[in-house]
Amino acid sequence: MSETHEHAHDHEHPPHAHDGKPIQEDALPPLEAHVLETAVRELLIEKGVISSDDIRRSIEERESRNPALGAKIVARAWADPEFKSKLMNESDEALLTFGINMSPMELCVVENTQEVHNMVVCTLCSCYPRPVLGIPPAWYKRRDYRSRAVREPRAVLQEFGTQIPEAKQVRVHDSNADLRYLVLPQRPDGTEGWDEEQLAKLVTRDSMIGVSDALTPAEIED
Amino acid sequence: MRGPQDYGGLPAGPVDPENNEHDPTHWEKTVDAMMMLLFDQRRRLARVDESRRMQEALGEDYHKYPYYERWLQAISWLLLEKGVFTQEELDAKMAEVRPRLEAERNGG
Repeated sequence: MSETHEHAHDHEHPPHAHDGKPIQEDALPPLEAHVLETAVRELLIEKGVISSDDIRRSIEERESRNPALGAKIVARAWADPEFKSKLMNESDEALLTFGINMSPMELCVVENTQEVHNMVVCTLCSCYPRPVLGIPPAWYKRRDYRSRAVREPRAVLQEFGTQIPEAKQVRVHDSNADLRYLVLPQRPDGTEGWDEEQLAKLVTRDSMIGVSDALTPAEIED
Repeated sequence: MRGPQDYGGLPAGPVDPENNEHDPTHWEKTVDAMMMLLFDQRRRLARVDESRRMQEALGEDYHKYPYYERWLQAISWLLLEKGVFTQEELDAKMAEVRPRLEAERNGG
């Protein structure tokens, strides 16, 4: 019953684009939650802990962290073996070249290969590589994904339209507060000689969570 | 013992990703921003583990709260615990805020 509440809530608000458009005055929360949030926010401002500007800047900062940023990192790893090696072994340093500071968390990059497919979950809450991908999608935070990703990953992958051959191993990584995971998807065939900008178009958010593969050149043609 | 948040491996329904995209609303982004500000290097008022401890303290109510309302509850309890404001201050502020928001919602 409780889950239907959370579920229904996720459907109340019409979706809008992941493109950092100006903030809209969209759906309001229940009055009680709105009262508590407003009271807490105003107390924090009165006490000088945060300012309205801090909140606005924090929202903007969060919006600048989105899957397009992760896609650039993956594209560079595909195009530049030296960068890839750094990303796999000293991810902190590699991310700094994109102006990303993971501290106090650590990012572990897991690479998909012919033998292994990786996917990421946080069974206990919603830990996610936010500095690289932004706010996690609703399904990532919901019970169904959190419960089942670790028990029947192939069935879950199928719900994303992703079929992993039986011969390939599926590895599920359970994130925590201090350690976040990013999947380095396999570079699609037919992309030889592509530059980073072209490659980045193939890299979706879901491919970096590992619930799908990167797009193929044919899929982005139109 | 399994806490209310400990979903790993339990039976559950389909993920249905297409119907569970929902970009955060402005209000949810504000709650998100408040939490991140409390976590940041300048304020260091809380850490992720502490936020989780508060959310898990909801017990069975954990499941009743939508995601960001759970965060909001954690924020207010953390700030009370750390003495950033008192329960009396919070109650007084809520009493002041409530009629204002009600009026706004009624198109006032």
